Amino acid sequence: MGTSVQVTPLCGVYNENPLSYLVSIDGFNFLVDCGWNDLFDPALLEPLSRVASKIDAVLLSYPDTLHLGALPYAMSHLGLSAPIYSTEPVFRLGLLTMYDQYLSRKAVSDFDLFTLDDVDSAFLSITRLTYSQNHHLSGKGEGIVIAPHVAGHLLGGTVWKITKDGEDVVYAVDFNHRKERHLNGIVAESFVRPAVLITEAYNALSNQPHRAQRDREFLEKIVRTLEGGGNVLLPVDTAGRALELILILEEFWAQRNLGYDIFFLTYVASSTIDYVKSFLEWMGDSIAKSFETSRNNAFQLKRVKLLINKMDLDNAPIGPKVVLASMASLEAGFSHDIFVEWASDVRNLVLFTERGQFGTLARMLQANPPPKAVKVTMSKRVPLVGDELVAYEEEQKRLKKEEELKASLLKQEESRASHGVDNTSSDPMVIDTTNSNAPPDVAGSHGGGYRDILFDGFVPPSTSVAPMFPFYENNTEWDDFGEVVNPDDYVVKDEDMNQTALHVGGDIDGKLDEAAASFILDTKPSKVVSNELTVQVKCSLIYIDFEGRSDGRSIKSIIARVAPLKLVLVHGSAEATEHLKQHCLKHICAHVYAPQIEETVDVTSDLCAYKVQLSEQLMSNVLFKKLGEYEVAWIDAVAGKTENHDMLSLLPTVSTPPPRHKSVLVGDLKMADLKQFLASKGVQVEFAGGGSLRCGEYVTLRKVGVAGQKGGGSGIQQIVIEGPLCEDYYKIREHLYSQFYLL
Amino acid sequence: MASTAQPASSLKRRDAPVTREGDQLTIIPLGAGSEVGRSCCYMTFKGKTVLFDCGIHPAYSGMSALPYFDEIDPSTIDVLLITHFHLDHAASLPYFLEKTTFRGKVYMTHPTKAIYKLLLTDYVKVSKVSVEDMLFDEQDINNSMDRIEVIDYHQTKEVNGIKFWCYTAGHVLGAAMFMVDIAGVRVLYTGDYSREEDRHLQAAEMPEFSPDICIIESTYGVQLHQPRHVREKRFTDVIHTTVSQGGRVLIPAFALGRAQELLLILDEYWSTHKELQNIPIYYASPLARKCMSVYQTYILAMNERIRNQFAHSNPFQFKFIQNLNSIDDFTDNGPCVVMASPGGLQSGLSRQLFDMWCSDKKNSCVIPGYVVEGTLAKTIINEPKEVTLMNGLMAPLNMSVHYISFSAHADYAQTSAFLKELRPPNIVLVHGEANEMGRLKQKLITEFAADGNTKVLTPKNCQSVEMMFNSEKMAKTIGKLAEKTPEVGETVSGILVKKGFTYQIMAPEDLHVFSQLSTANIFQRITVPFNGAFGVIKHRLEQIYESVESGTDEESAVPTLLVHKLVTVKQDSEKHISMHWAADPVSDMVSDSVVALVLNISRELPKVVIESEASKTEEENEKRAEKVIYALLVSLFGDVKRDENGKLVISVDGNVAKLDKQSGDVESEHEGLKEKVRTAFRRIQTAVNPIPLPGS
Repeated sequence: MGTSVQVTPLCGVYNENPLSYLVSIDGFNFLVDCGWNDLFDPALLEPLSRVASKIDAVLLSYPDTLHLGALPYAMSHLGLSAPIYSTEPVFRLGLLTMYDQYLSRKAVSDFDLFTLDDVDSAFLSITRLTYSQNHHLSGKGEGIVIAPHVAGHLLGGTVWKITKDGEDVVYAVDFNHRKERHLNGIVAESFVRPAVLITEAYNALSNQPHRAQRDREFLEKIVRTLEGGGNVLLPVDTAGRALELILILEEFWAQRNLGYDIFFLTYVASSTIDYVKSFLEWMGDSIAKSFETSRNNAFQLKRVKLLINKMDLDNAPIGPKVVLASMASLEAGFSHDIFVEWASDVRNLVLFTERGQFGTLARMLQANPPPKAVKVTMSKRVPLVGDELVAYEEEQKRLKKEEELKASLLKQEESRASHGVDNTSSDPMVIDTTNSNAPPDVAGSHGGGYRDILFDGFVPPSTSVAPMFPFYENNTEWDDFGEVVNPDDYVVKDEDMNQTALHVGGDIDGKLDEAAASFILDTKPSKVVSNELTVQVKCSLIYIDFEGRSDGRSIKSIIARVAPLKLVLVHGSAEATEHLKQHCLKHICAHVYAPQIEETVDVTSDLCAYKVQLSEQLMSNVLFKKLGEYEVAWIDAVAGKTENHDMLSLLPTVSTPPPRHKSVLVGDLKMADLKQFLASKGVQVEFAGGGSLRCGEYVTLRKVGVAGQKGGGSGIQQIVIEGPLCEDYYKIREHLYSQFYLL
Repeated sequence: MASTAQPASSLKRRDAPVTREGDQLTIIPLGAGSEVGRSCCYMTFKGKTVLFDCGIHPAYSGMSALPYFDEIDPSTIDVLLITHFHLDHAASLPYFLEKTTFRGKVYMTHPTKAIYKLLLTDYVKVSKVSVEDMLFDEQDINNSMDRIEVIDYHQTKEVNGIKFWCYTAGHVLGAAMFMVDIAGVRVLYTGDYSREEDRHLQAAEMPEFSPDICIIESTYGVQLHQPRHVREKRFTDVIHTTVSQGGRVLIPAFALGRAQELLLILDEYWSTHKELQNIPIYYASPLARKCMSVYQTYILAMNERIRNQFAHSNPFQFKFIQNLNSIDDFTDNGPCVVMASPGGLQSGLSRQLFDMWCSDKKNSCVIPGYVVEGTLAKTIINEPKEVTLMNGLMAPLNMSVHYISFSAHADYAQTSAFLKELRPPNIVLVHGEANEMGRLKQKLITEFAADGNTKVLTPKNCQSVEMMFNSEKMAKTIGKLAEKTPEVGETVSGILVKKGFTYQIMAPEDLHVFSQLSTANIFQRITVPFNGAFGVIKHRLEQIYESVESGTDEESAVPTLLVHKLVTVKQDSEKHISMHWAADPVSDMVSDSVVALVLNISRELPKVVIESEASKTEEENEKRAEKVIYALLVSLFGDVKRDENGKLVISVDGNVAKLDKQSGDVESEHEGLKEKVRTAFRRIQTAVNPIPLPGS
């Protein structure tokens, strides 16, 4: 009867690999997250490639590589073509992250897994939703409602709630319950008691220091390094946690009025901050409030300077500085180059704010004790010079010639076949293509193609002997009033407003910073030069956790609060996964699954349900009792049919006394509350051993049985009241009863 | 529409109003009913109350500018939804929050909240009224900020069982149309809306659900707007001609809303016309300058066009427009374009410039929007020969005056197309001058109400509109109770749990699984001093209870008795017996009787009166029961008689019910009485007859 739900991990279980899971709900396949790592290893995507074409919708939860990195590749190479849903910041910052990834990679290698166009076209198909917007799917997914909810961690971060027939499937990974400078925490109340919760064990074993203490340590380390004349490198992600760090530094610098430079260096730094400035709706309450009351945009940065080019950093005034640079993994990007430059100076500090991805340089450096020296590859894209350039040009020329030859051959064949007139360049009608405005490199490839046409889109009709302008016979219709006209031909097109829009924008690729743009457009022949070198790691290396994820204890308490009927654990080391699984089995719910890659677990709820109509006659006699946000009542009814006979309806029982039912006491008794309550009623109470409550002189109260399960998952409470026959006994019993509703 | 239920009888009174009131949806315009200004619309349904907008009437001052708040009890309002920042939609909010008993929640969009504060602070500063007449001060505005919650477009919020979300409305930045869903009945309140996309705002969206009621603005009634490109062309042409001939252009405009649209048009026009770029455009409004950062920030609330431009540069960072704080900073040398407030040319900078420029025929004045009757702007539209300057002198009006309306309200074409697609069965018109509204109503009726399924209403202020919605209550039976779907005629018993407007039926054991409620069992153990023989107790109990089972305790091997299958009596020691049972009204009663009995034995008082089995015949028993039943019914209903068939005839307020004592069947014309008598009889019977054994 319940909705059928299957979960199949495609990547990222029992380890820290990127996240990607297949969740199918009544046959509708959701791909939740589509992550890749900084190493861009296509092997990781193999499971995805097998199912990509079957996917009906993609849900993205965070704007970082681990959650959406594989999207462009999957769309262009694996046949993924489903509609994608995300929040606005995930879309925008995700796009920038992918640009940064691409540019960082392209700068040091012949990266060809995907192009910027792939990135653009992948992100073009994203539908953007706001938090707690109930989006009703149509077509195959009819009846399914998806809604993003606040998750913290990164700007726009999402917990997805997928609802069908009143049953919720909640996908919550990497969430953060704490409020941060720019983000709100997760609100566990918005998805209580889902049928299925998919969450991760990544942080199940971690403990976090107190936030204030952590911040102090972080700033102290940085300031001490700067005062010692050293530089600080913070390897960060493109548009995620970097924002929080920027705010911390900005705030601290303003407070102390420090003069050291701070730089934020990624290929897309300035556009990132520009966009982030317009995302205030998505940030925490304090940011929104400060803007509403004083129009202070927290991301109107005064201290942090934005750079998109390493040259600008090299040109910066000499002296100690802080640099936030992407990528966090140190595998590529500016952080990689800066690390290589700075690692050998003991005064410098490399401060990691997140755990490095497995197998990356950052991870290696975070080992304890850190390695004394690391081997790195320094690659650079250099323009071709000398012989190489000549060789390249010759090669290009050869290719061009071949193409031309091919084209002319083709054309000759064609013309011979069609009308036998040879359109050679001596023909006065033919415009010499070399004079066209097309850029030479483009012309190189198409050169021959223009020969037989005068203008683009004009093909000589096959019946004509020589090229001629098209001639249309004017066969207009006439009636009594003159020529019959189509009114649409005379409507003034609503264009004027969009003209400018078109020539300024019209594409989604957003603002690529000039340097970056010039870099892409720069089609000058170049090659990648790599050399391996060993870097002596003399600088200090520190790891301070600024990942903005909930720690183990909070994860457990949040899962307990959400209290799912079934739980699926993904993402996290085998050890952490096993630990959390055991914990949840013991304390939270009986159905915990931790599937392997490509192992499908069926988490269809074994819940039975049917719908009935409550008739007016029945409801008029029901007396509800209010209990918090619930109202409860006992009903005895007879099943009947509704007027139009399509549903069951409940009618009041006609016969005299309804069957007696066992009475039910509803309420959640907390011993401490009861103690207070009794005390307020003038009863002497104190806790005796074993959690029992001694009331008055003789009567004892205690809870027995399965008290282990906490929170919403609790079973039936068993309470024992004992005592000799006395007035107190009845009085206390009365008080105890008053804590419950009797149905 | 109006309720038609007949007056209920006195008997049904307790139930009847509950269901009737519950199904009746009431809408009362407290302002903007057949008028423009002080928008405020009250709606209540099923005990949930929503207030839409909270504005002031710009034509009045002090308390008389407020909507009719006296008509309602502010403390009963659950949610207050503000559509946009204009004074006639939001300006009485600080008063309502700070000076009334309203304790509900207030929602508006992010941009609205940011501009609301700036606008009202400015309003308080410039309004020249006496201190007593002040509705609120700056402090009240600041306090109100803490109580306003924000909502994003499409975000669904739920307060106290009321679900609501909003759509973009066009009109101004942050303007929203609210859809409210109470127990499945949906109401759409459009506020001011425009279905035409402009330079920076999206057109009002088409909701994906059709509402049951649509409360819609009718400012422009049956009028039609000029197409956007026509008026934009007129606007830019006038300006271009004037400045190229060496004249000056004055655009008197309200600081926020349309002004930003005009600036975008000008900035764009300048950037495409190089020849104009040495001619300055001034924008003279300190308030608008403050609000510029709001426009520069909430790009996401604007249209796709702006968002695309934003990818290159922020379109609200104007390239050709300079700010002007006061006339002192302004040097009048040669052609220029100045946009200044107020829009009506009553006073202030726009009037100062007008006085300076009005007599030169090279100059132009462009009035870009709706102008209020009685202002100078309204006067000059008719192009009089002379005008009175601020210093009282007369001057010839030589400058050319152009009226080009950029008002972002829906016109008739938009309203009709919007409603045609939405097809709401009930349309309530607000926010429109009475005549204009009347015409719109007539036209809508001919267009929509021909089939008789659509109703168009135009309530005046404080006039309530009532509609009945018989919402079906659907419940979902889940868990153990739902293992088998019952056939017709089978009984269903369980706990009905109501949360908001959703109902679930479940077995008590499942309560903690499907809700956050938990159930408890209370076990009671009580020791009673007793030093007689255990057998005596058993003997006595057997005389009262049908079922007394002997046994031995498994642990201590002492004799036990299970009374009525509920209470276990155990001989703990020579001097004590203990009783234990699970709490429940019946068990408690049984245990009480056992305690009484045991105490009686130990006190060795005269025995409990034992009626010998033989002395009580069935007949006597029945007679006594009948007597008791009769007496109780009399005490409940008063007039109870026996008729010839042995039935009891009960008459109350002229309604008669006949009760068959054997079967419990009741006959009556009156449903309410029938139900009452049946329930009463059922209860009396349970009291008179022996307690059935559990499980029997």
